[in-house]
Amino acid sequence: MNKHRHSGQVSSYCYQCVAGPDMLKVDIEDGIATQVRPNSDAAAIHPAGGKVCVKAFGLIQKTYNPHRILTPMKRTNPKKGRNEDPGFTPISWDEALDTIAARLNEAREKGLTDASGFPRVAASFGGGGTPTAYMGTFPAFLAAWGPVDMSFGSGQGVKCYHSEHLYGELWHRAFTVSPDTPLVELIISFGANVEASGGVCGVRRHADARARGVKRIQIEPHLSVTGACSAEWVPIRPKTDAAFLLAMLHVVLHEEKRDRLDVPFLKERTSSPYLIAPNGFYIRDGESGKPLIWDLNTRRAVPYDTPNTDPALEGDFLVSGIETGPDDKSWTHENIACRPAFEHLLEHVEPYSPEWAADICDVGAGTIRSVARQFLDHAHIGETIEIGGRTLPFRPVAISLGKTVNNGWGGYECCWARTLLACLVGGLEVPGGTLGTTVRLNRPADNRWSSVTPGPDGFMHYPMNPTRKGEWLSRSPSRHAHRTLVPLAANSPWSQALGPTHLAWMMQQKGFDHLPEPTQPDVWFVYRTNPAISFWDTDAVSDSMAKFPFTVCFAYTHDETNHMADILLPECTDLEGLQLIRIGGSKYVEQFWDYQGFALRDPASEPQGEARDFTWIATELARRTGLLKEYNTAINKGAAGVRLYGENFDFSLQPEQSHAVEDIWNRICRAANAELTDGEESGGLDYFREHGFRVKPFPREQWYLYPAMAEQGLRFELPYQERLYRIGQELKARLHEQGITWWDRQLREYEPMPHWQDLPGLWESALSECFDADIDDYPFWLLTARSMQYSWGGNAGIQMIHEVAANVAGHGGVVMNPAAARKLGLKEGDRVEVRSPVGRTEGAVVLRQGIRPDTLLMVGQFDHWVTPFAKDLKLPSMNALTPMILELTDATGSGADLVKAAVKRIGERP
Amino acid sequence: MTRWIIVADLNRCVGCQTCTSACKHANATAPGVQWRKVLDFETGEYPDVRRAFLPAGCMHCDEPPCMDVCPSTATGKRADGIVTIDYDLCIGCAYCAVACPYQARFRVDRPASAYAGKRMRHEIAREDPHRIGVAQKCTFCLERIDAGLAAGLTPGLDEEATPACVNSCIAGALHFGDADDPDSNVSRLLAEHRHFRMHEDLQTGPGIYYLWEQATEGETAAPEETAPPPMAAEPVGMDAVSPRRQTNWDWRAAANFIAGGTGAGLFAATALAGLFVPPPMPAAGLLALALVAAGLFCVWLEIGRPWRFINVYFNARRSWMTREALAALPFFALGGGAALSGSPPLWLGAAAFGLLFLYCQARILRAARGIPAWRQAGIVPLIVDTGLSEGTGIFAVFAAASGNESLQQGSAMVLLILLFLRYAAWRLYRRALGNQGAPVQTFRTLDQGWLNLHGGTQLVIAAITAAGLMMPALLAAGGIAAAVTGWAFKYTLITRAAFTQGYAIARMPARGAGTSAPGIKPGWMRS
Repeated sequence: MNKHRHSGQVSSYCYQCVAGPDMLKVDIEDGIATQVRPNSDAAAIHPAGGKVCVKAFGLIQKTYNPHRILTPMKRTNPKKGRNEDPGFTPISWDEALDTIAARLNEAREKGLTDASGFPRVAASFGGGGTPTAYMGTFPAFLAAWGPVDMSFGSGQGVKCYHSEHLYGELWHRAFTVSPDTPLVELIISFGANVEASGGVCGVRRHADARARGVKRIQIEPHLSVTGACSAEWVPIRPKTDAAFLLAMLHVVLHEEKRDRLDVPFLKERTSSPYLIAPNGFYIRDGESGKPLIWDLNTRRAVPYDTPNTDPALEGDFLVSGIETGPDDKSWTHENIACRPAFEHLLEHVEPYSPEWAADICDVGAGTIRSVARQFLDHAHIGETIEIGGRTLPFRPVAISLGKTVNNGWGGYECCWARTLLACLVGGLEVPGGTLGTTVRLNRPADNRWSSVTPGPDGFMHYPMNPTRKGEWLSRSPSRHAHRTLVPLAANSPWSQALGPTHLAWMMQQKGFDHLPEPTQPDVWFVYRTNPAISFWDTDAVSDSMAKFPFTVCFAYTHDETNHMADILLPECTDLEGLQLIRIGGSKYVEQFWDYQGFALRDPASEPQGEARDFTWIATELARRTGLLKEYNTAINKGAAGVRLYGENFDFSLQPEQSHAVEDIWNRICRAANAELTDGEESGGLDYFREHGFRVKPFPREQWYLYPAMAEQGLRFELPYQERLYRIGQELKARLHEQGITWWDRQLREYEPMPHWQDLPGLWESALSECFDADIDDYPFWLLTARSMQYSWGGNAGIQMIHEVAANVAGHGGVVMNPAAARKLGLKEGDRVEVRSPVGRTEGAVVLRQGIRPDTLLMVGQFDHWVTPFAKDLKLPSMNALTPMILELTDATGSGADLVKAAVKRIGERP
Repeated sequence: MTRWIIVADLNRCVGCQTCTSACKHANATAPGVQWRKVLDFETGEYPDVRRAFLPAGCMHCDEPPCMDVCPSTATGKRADGIVTIDYDLCIGCAYCAVACPYQARFRVDRPASAYAGKRMRHEIAREDPHRIGVAQKCTFCLERIDAGLAAGLTPGLDEEATPACVNSCIAGALHFGDADDPDSNVSRLLAEHRHFRMHEDLQTGPGIYYLWEQATEGETAAPEETAPPPMAAEPVGMDAVSPRRQTNWDWRAAANFIAGGTGAGLFAATALAGLFVPPPMPAAGLLALALVAAGLFCVWLEIGRPWRFINVYFNARRSWMTREALAALPFFALGGGAALSGSPPLWLGAAAFGLLFLYCQARILRAARGIPAWRQAGIVPLIVDTGLSEGTGIFAVFAAASGNESLQQGSAMVLLILLFLRYAAWRLYRRALGNQGAPVQTFRTLDQGWLNLHGGTQLVIAAITAAGLMMPALLAAGGIAAAVTGWAFKYTLITRAAFTQGYAIARMPARGAGTSAPGIKPGWMRS
């Protein structure tokens, strides 16, 4: 097992949320971890000066929490359910691992996939991928195993920035999107809650920006922590952000002069000049098949990449060429009138005036117009800046979108309008502007620039799931049909987690017509997630997981998901385990570094009880399933984060041997050092134990995609979505050929440019129709917001977190406007029941002026009924109230944390 | 000279509580104890609403009220401005806690346990028995400062010499440094920004400065520029920052003011009566002594370190609690002698010390500047007169029982005068409190009920007492009523109406390119 120091300090990291990782140090006294500190050694290389946020300070209690599960356990009550006592009894590690291995070996013998073609082994991890920073070499075990179904969601889709993930990666390699905060002047933030969910890097970068005098306008139904830190708060009606953004487009395109836009950017770096043929597809050169533009110099249509052209953005032009539709359907046109995509855009947004949006958003037209004009005022059209020796455009304006804005219906509209607004001022992927952070669907994942490769029509390549006849996958290798239904979900290791994960849960209740028979996984692994609390319609999810035949939970404490488990395994928690991870470069949210490298998680405490290092568990599982060779080979190839061999180094593991935890990580450390120094240095675990981390410079110009695009002459695929329009028609044909019509509503999203749809009305009608509810009985919009103290941390059972979170208003109750409360006779602290057509929850009234009278807010996710400590807090959660229905599932497969609700007083403040 | 201060940039602070948590780690504070915490304020009415976060804790005041009141001299102030507590001297009387207008002091009577009853390894490892039952608060991490200075480091610039909260701040909002050095980091920040300190009007000279707006070029930003925040009687959702009923002194402390005041008054009344109708009644004297002793016993029950009670005598120079304890000694000695010997000089001497004891009690409350209802100047005559009225009221019972008409007539007359004076003192106190403002709940509590010092009740008691000039039984009833209403008032004053100062934010900060706005003093009103 791991050695750990008896006194002094060790280096570690905190990656409890997606906005990490960040480095820290832990004091050790007499073998006990006593204190977490920031890592000042990292002050010069970390974007937030080596700091960690409040969550990291919960780790000491997390380690010594008396409620921890400290021995492997097995279930003795075969019946599963919320009201069944699992009857967990302690067993030895040997018995636990042998039991699991026997199940796995049995599954392997039957075949890795079942009769429906689904993997027999499934796994669910929470926290937006962050559990990999704590699961040691377990990914190598999964790689060794073969197909694993990751489709059972833990919250994604409804708790993530789902539309942004998919469309963001398509348009600008932006799994998440961030302002270029260090240079920006104006941020228009639609519900993005960066001060709560942006991690230390987000908080520090925005604090520095405010100190510099940046203006941020927060457009959001409630005055969040981020709203508090903004120059202005605009309380918009929930789920109407798309109307606001469309109206901004209207102002910019119809009320302002054209020279306020970055016209050269639109001509050279976007599809704005591409001519559109009558069927809605590009008109193309008959020979090369390239889309045509109208060259104002020669007054004729030429392929988009013809040198020395001056493409027209506006006007009608007579053009000949071919038009290519779905499934290679082709039309030949002679001298037909075509208009550039930009002209279509002008027509598209013409109806969306601020006056039109004002009633929808419950925001004055003057405010909308003012925000749009400020966006132009701060765009610095024509200015440049030197970054890393390159002269790049400087456009210090950005628009951020938050959860519930950029997922579910309306997510496409908002993401499109936001990205397009950036394009209109030339502010996409340039200094000061709107940037992507990282890639998860495109490859390679560690570098955005490398993922920029030419695709069709002058745009970037995107690994769509095929939709053409003969190529479409009618059977997806996952229980949520992500490759069948969602072309944008692609097929990377992350794709399953970014598919419509609630469909996997829904299918457990009732299969969908013409898809393979839904089956249960033979073995389900669960780590650092609690979908019985964190998903939507949690009652239904709990019922489904109770029917799974064999569930293995890596268990910290007893919780609502592992209540249904067959085996509980106590793994080393954050301060007990050993691991090396990559740091730096550009990562999620606001992690933009000038360095990249590796950081060590060195154990600060000996494991409590029988808890074991995850790497030991993974190795033992590999050994007991006869997969040591595949497992070690996977590690050698980099499944644990670093490839163990290179041009001038080789620290590979012996494939047939079972290696000790420290041996494995020593080799990984040596390979990491060699990778950073081109093989010149190869210090192992001792090096990282002494230094904590090692980095090399990461060029700042790589924060921006623009240079990579310009070098390859590529364009951003905006404003016109010709590719998606075609794919949508192909997908429709494929689904209908298979008899699937239940996805038709989703197919409507495949528009070349999104139209406004009555999103609040869509929610209301879906709720009333699906649940036979009178929507007037549910007068409030119920929303949630992230909490820096809790989000992603799995720390609802940590007393200190609860204590300090209570200082931030809104935690622990149902936040409502006092005028609305007065009408219902409610006062501060009253216990209320909040009910949607789907479910109910209870909490205390928290009155704040900073919330719309038609809106309720529940911060975080609670409603625990078995997690120790958390279950006694009696805190509300909207998750049981959020419907999991197709009607509220968008084309990317996401929903939104939004439902209509009613409030009823059930008691006074205790 | 050096003056260590913290500067908090409210434009930067996001209320994340990382400093709160880092402080809990660095100082191993118990669950519920937050030497540093960040407050959440909201102003305005929907839709014109602002929200801001304010790091708070011990202000390390220039004129720390906690130090003046401390009877044991456990609380001190170093030359560099840091207010300290000597855990080995502190008796845990919590007087400092009620004297602090920033609610920065805590007393923990049992070892920490975040999960009820199940102490964790790090809790046991970091237990500091010296901190049990005594006052504790933010130390500005003085060990780090001292060790850092000894190592040639600069507090505020070098992590090892800087308070943990400042080191941990993820927004770069917290700064630590020397205000006396015009070139220090904090002095520069203060020069470049408009700023305020919390409860500036209390003139404690707090050592945490809040930046709320960048100063325009060439402007020197003086703290007095910031107007006091407007009071908000019915703030929405501001419970956490509004005044709260103090819990440091409970019925046991109230019992000392009740029994001590009554006892001192009774002894004085008995001695006075003895001058006119000798000899003084020993039973009344003994009862008076017993009452004072019982009151002090109750306080002894309340202190966190009862076996260190002798330390109460360490701060005669400044603490009215020490002086009260000192006055009690000759009072008991002379009073005991007087009751046994009947010697008039002993009676008079003891009565004088009894009155001094009573005066000290009044000054104890006056010096408790953390409780707006107590720190009023008018509290002194009110408490003194209340004690005298109660004592005289009880003496009237003795007089009524004695059958001595002169004694009855005299005590009735004196009681009537005292009742009038008590009512006048109450009116003056109440008016001054109303003019200056106080926590809304203080007014509500003081003004409600019938068992109080209000005119109607007192008029009835006076009438009964006046009737007592004819009927001794009514004199006794009037006397008891005078005492009971005094006791009820003091019980209310010490416990139910004793709301803390609460917190206030003088200005809502400008955020980025935004503008600043008036702040708020939630839960306060004038009445």
